[in-house]
Amino acid sequence: MSALLETNELTVSYGGLHANSNVNIKAEKGKLTGLIGPNGAGKTTFIDAITGFTNVSSGRAEFDGNDLAGVLPSDRAKNGLVRTFQSLELFEDLTVWDNLIVMAEQTKWWSFLADIVKPNRVLGIEEQAEWALNLLGLGEHRDKLTLDLSHGQRKLVSVARALAAKPSMLLLDEPAAGLDTVESQQLGKHLREILKQDISIFLIDHDMGLVLSVCDYIYVLDFGKIIAEGTPEEVRNNPEVKRAYLGETAGEMQAEGGAAAARTLSGEG
Amino acid sequence: MSEALLNIVNLNAGYGGIPVVRELNIHVNPGEVVALLGPNGAGKTTTLLTISGILRPIAGDIQLLGSTTIGERPEKIARRGLAHVAEDRSLFFDLTVQENLRLGLTGNRETRSKSQENALDMFPALRPLLDRRAGLLSGGEQQMLAMARGLASEPKMLLVDEMSLGLAPIIVERMLPIVRRIADDTGAGVLMVEQHVGLALSVADRGYVLAHGELTMEGSAQQLRDNQSLLEASYLGGEAH
Amino acid sequence: MLLGAPPPFLISKIRELRGEMKEAIAYSIMGLGSGGFYALMAMGIVVAYKGSGVINFSHGAIAMYVAFQFYNLRTEGVFRLPWFDILPTSWLNLPVRFNLTDGQPMNFWLCVLLALLTSVLIGALIHYLVFKPLRNAAPLGKVIGAIGVMTYFLGVASLQFGSTIPNPEAVLFKDVLFKNFLGLGLPVSVEALALAASAIIVGAVLWAIFRYTRTGLATRAAAGNEKGAVLLGYSPDKLALFNWVLAALLAGLAGILAGTVTGSLSVGKFTALIVPALGAALIGSMSSIPLAIAGALLIGALQTFTSTWMVGESWFPSWLQSGARDAIPLIIIVAVLFLKGKSLPIRGNIEEKRLPLAPYPKRVGKYVAIFVPLGFLFAAGLPGDFLWAGLTGNWGFSFTASLVAAMFGLSFIILAGYVGQISLVQISLAGTAAFVTARFVANEGPSAENPFAVGGPHWPWPLASLMGIIAAVVVGLIVAIPALRIRGVQLAVVTIAASISMWTLFFDNPSATKLQGGSAYEFGTPFFFGIDIGSTSSSGLTDNPKYTLFCLVVLAGLCVVVANLRRGSTGRRFLAVRANERAAASAGVNVPGTKFLAFGIASAVAGVAGVMTAYQTGSTAATNWEYGIGLSALAFCYLGGITSINGAILGGMIAGGGIVNTFGSFHSPGLYSYTAILGGLGMIATAIIHPAGQASIFQPLMRHFGSWLLIARGKEWGVVLKRLWPFLLGGGAWGAIGINPWRTDSWNRGWAIVLGIFLVLFVRNIVNQVRAAKAAKALPDTNSLQEVTA
Repeated sequence: MSALLETNELTVSYGGLHANSNVNIKAEKGKLTGLIGPNGAGKTTFIDAITGFTNVSSGRAEFDGNDLAGVLPSDRAKNGLVRTFQSLELFEDLTVWDNLIVMAEQTKWWSFLADIVKPNRVLGIEEQAEWALNLLGLGEHRDKLTLDLSHGQRKLVSVARALAAKPSMLLLDEPAAGLDTVESQQLGKHLREILKQDISIFLIDHDMGLVLSVCDYIYVLDFGKIIAEGTPEEVRNNPEVKRAYLGETAGEMQAEGGAAAARTLSGEG
Repeated sequence: MSEALLNIVNLNAGYGGIPVVRELNIHVNPGEVVALLGPNGAGKTTTLLTISGILRPIAGDIQLLGSTTIGERPEKIARRGLAHVAEDRSLFFDLTVQENLRLGLTGNRETRSKSQENALDMFPALRPLLDRRAGLLSGGEQQMLAMARGLASEPKMLLVDEMSLGLAPIIVERMLPIVRRIADDTGAGVLMVEQHVGLALSVADRGYVLAHGELTMEGSAQQLRDNQSLLEASYLGGEAH
Repeated sequence: MLLGAPPPFLISKIRELRGEMKEAIAYSIMGLGSGGFYALMAMGIVVAYKGSGVINFSHGAIAMYVAFQFYNLRTEGVFRLPWFDILPTSWLNLPVRFNLTDGQPMNFWLCVLLALLTSVLIGALIHYLVFKPLRNAAPLGKVIGAIGVMTYFLGVASLQFGSTIPNPEAVLFKDVLFKNFLGLGLPVSVEALALAASAIIVGAVLWAIFRYTRTGLATRAAAGNEKGAVLLGYSPDKLALFNWVLAALLAGLAGILAGTVTGSLSVGKFTALIVPALGAALIGSMSSIPLAIAGALLIGALQTFTSTWMVGESWFPSWLQSGARDAIPLIIIVAVLFLKGKSLPIRGNIEEKRLPLAPYPKRVGKYVAIFVPLGFLFAAGLPGDFLWAGLTGNWGFSFTASLVAAMFGLSFIILAGYVGQISLVQISLAGTAAFVTARFVANEGPSAENPFAVGGPHWPWPLASLMGIIAAVVVGLIVAIPALRIRGVQLAVVTIAASISMWTLFFDNPSATKLQGGSAYEFGTPFFFGIDIGSTSSSGLTDNPKYTLFCLVVLAGLCVVVANLRRGSTGRRFLAVRANERAAASAGVNVPGTKFLAFGIASAVAGVAGVMTAYQTGSTAATNWEYGIGLSALAFCYLGGITSINGAILGGMIAGGGIVNTFGSFHSPGLYSYTAILGGLGMIATAIIHPAGQASIFQPLMRHFGSWLLIARGKEWGVVLKRLWPFLLGGGAWGAIGINPWRTDSWNRGWAIVLGIFLVLFVRNIVNQVRAAKAAKALPDTNSLQEVTA
């Protein structure tokens, strides 16, 4: 199988409520896979589960053929599964450059002793960080604190930071939220650029325009369940999807409130 | 425009000085249900939070019952007759349904028991649950409680944020008419943020559509319904088809 | 049913066991008295937490203050206000002390009323002056606020009540005893039972308030969802005020009713009773009043049971006997936080500020190259007697004290400043290092000269010090274990409990330290390649400049180490963890490992500071390592700037016994007694006005120098002087006329000028910060909600 990331009947529940139920997703190598769905559908919960920030209740998640169960979040990142956060979560005390370096550098337990002697060693990862910085056009902001950047630039820093680790898969949680139309289109271009560097992308976003225009394959999540999947064209024309977004026709009775309660618990917003 | 309950003039609102919503103009008259529509991330919730004073506006003016609310603390704005049913419902999970309602009540003992009765009449399903802790209610019941608590203060202006969030469409269909009834019965103005366009427009008098922080359409519910394809485009992005 | 009669040996065994059981139960019941007291205290902590989300470390200090107030009212009718005569003159000042009855005992109910009024006043003041301004502060800011209040009250109480340790009378049922309570065979005082009963009654009243009154309901509502309460029209500030007053009233009530249950009234020990109360409040998850009461009674019973019954058993380790009582609350706190730390309610404030930035240290090598020789020049005494007149002893000592305090401060910088971990146990780690070092350098046992001397293997001082530092690291890492699971504010709870408990368990426990009757360990003179670098000079005073130089070198070394850590990958990981643990983990940073590393390094630094302190004074005893000293050190470090190395240095300069303090004392001899008060106030003010601290005071002096001093040109000095000359001149003039001519007994004009300049620059710095803060406020919502979706 060529899927880099694969989940099998993945279920996450909070106190009996299913935030994700039996989710099956395959993200192929070298492809841009999208996950969309209305507010509170359980998208961030899914990323949290994949990256180890929330407990999986049942089902499996595999990355590069290895079971992810029991692997620490920091180790998942080291193994090439790197995410961004919807709320950015940049390291605000560090410069843009240092934000990238934290992600890129591999440290040993004795690194602190080396730091005491020579704090500004050449780490051998500068090139990689430089590449990520330039790819997203942040070169001129290299030595600024992230606090001094605009919201859109901070978004880009969060993507660049994830890229600095040279991940094999990049999980993006709402990278376009709060961006204007132009910025969002630019982001789309960057994503295709990243894909060329042998980095697969898994994209979660609200911005249907962005998702439909850049993704190779899309899954649609509603009430914690996959309700549709397919190419952008298929998804765009899928009546289920329109219903989930626009609520024109009432569907069958759903597990009421589950996703909402889960949303409150997981702090997704 | 002095008779409008709520009048928003050239509002810029956002976080950390960065506007998410730009140059917004909205007004709501007494007894009117107004829908604020738009895709996720458009700035709808930001607008409501700014109206109720949780967020300070960056520029522009907000007039409630004829006088500005700029610079007032949110609790004071609330006491002027604004009720805000927040997106996260902001219920007090450790308190019972009864206690949650009680905190919404204002006035003296008599008017209080009357307002509570009125609120419960709107949502009779809550009656048998009065002694249950709010945290134990189902999603639909929680939403009803949030609405009932907002009503209990007998507001002149009601803001409802994403009532349908996480609820099955059938529940939403049942609750939306109540919003209409509130406006008709009490003469309050209602500004509701909604993702479900069709459902929202079925009860609203007028609607505004926000996309990327700017008003893209406004008009009567009928006009908006007639422009379905344009609406869809603003939701699903890209070109209309 | 029994199958026949049991054998006789079993019967006698059962009888014996039953007797022991009875005894054990009786002892536990006696402990209900202190349990009742803890319950009253714990309820206050819970109420304050519900009302404002602050874990009120100062609760014990407030109870202590009111207890003293009540005692003094009752015995001699003296009423005091909780501040001090701050104004510069002796004839025009803040009213502080009122003699109501000409030294006669006062009417009981009047005393109660006045004591409770004091509580109300304190509660309202704390709300308006401290926690209302800190409402949106980072969690560390709130902890600092509470510790500032605690430090302030420790200071005010020491000033007003001095070192008196009176024995208050019982308030409830004085001298009434159940001779044979419930047939258990032991006498139990009615006072103890009545205290437990009153705690339960007060608890019932509180429970009703929070269930049936609108304000009580709204408090619970806002504690769960502040936004919801605000949207319904409830003002969080008013709710907080109500709860702070209620909490302070509960603290006052506890102080009044304590009577004989808590033993003699001492400023430090009474305040330390916060620890069992915190334990009880945590058992109630900081929200349940009935559970908090139950927990408090349990702790009280367990304590008495342990300290009276269990220690009598042959298996009980003798070195634990005197401290066993105090270990129980610590064990409970650690256990509760470890087991359910993550489920404690966290108040979701609408907006919350972040910690101040931790600046990137620049030009470290140059500073070291300049300041070490310069410092030595100062320490050795410049020729001439303008500045020096009559100062050598104090000067050398205070300069060294500042250096050592700065070393200690660095341990806070690493932990709190860089990693965001609020550890209040650093003082105990420093003490551990000093004590262990003392044991290793000691040679023979008691002599005619020092009958209390403790024997040891007489290791050379560098080796012994290394052992001490290693011991500090080991203890520090043990304390760090809970930190891996516990978040910011809760860590402060664990570490303050650890600090207080370690004092009674170890430092003040003769069977553990072998120190008899409050004696001290003696340190020999350290030699460095044959040169005497001990602190004692030929004059017999501890002002040997060689030791000062030694301290300078060590401090410079530590500064370089800390600066390099901050600049390297370690510092990046520290700050990443501080900014956001989730994001750090997603960046491949091992969060627990990083915290552990920070604790280890900070413990080592604290250990170095401990050993250096011990060598500075030449001896060390339990009193050097009390928790209050640690809090005061943190206060000055925070005032200096908790996130930068300059902050530690400035903190050292202004710390108790340091340079500024000594300058000041030269001017006003009484200043030493104001140290804790000023520290507490400074800490609170810093937390409110400018959490980054006053370290920026150095900036106007240094900003204009590229390669500072080494090639400092006239032009650069000119820029600095042009900027600062009015302040320098004004400060100098102020000093020359004697800063506070009305309060001056003896002073040295040269030093007063320096002090005047320092004070003026300090004030200038604060004014600039207030201005900057106001300018920043003009921009709306710079620090509000992070999520920008809608």
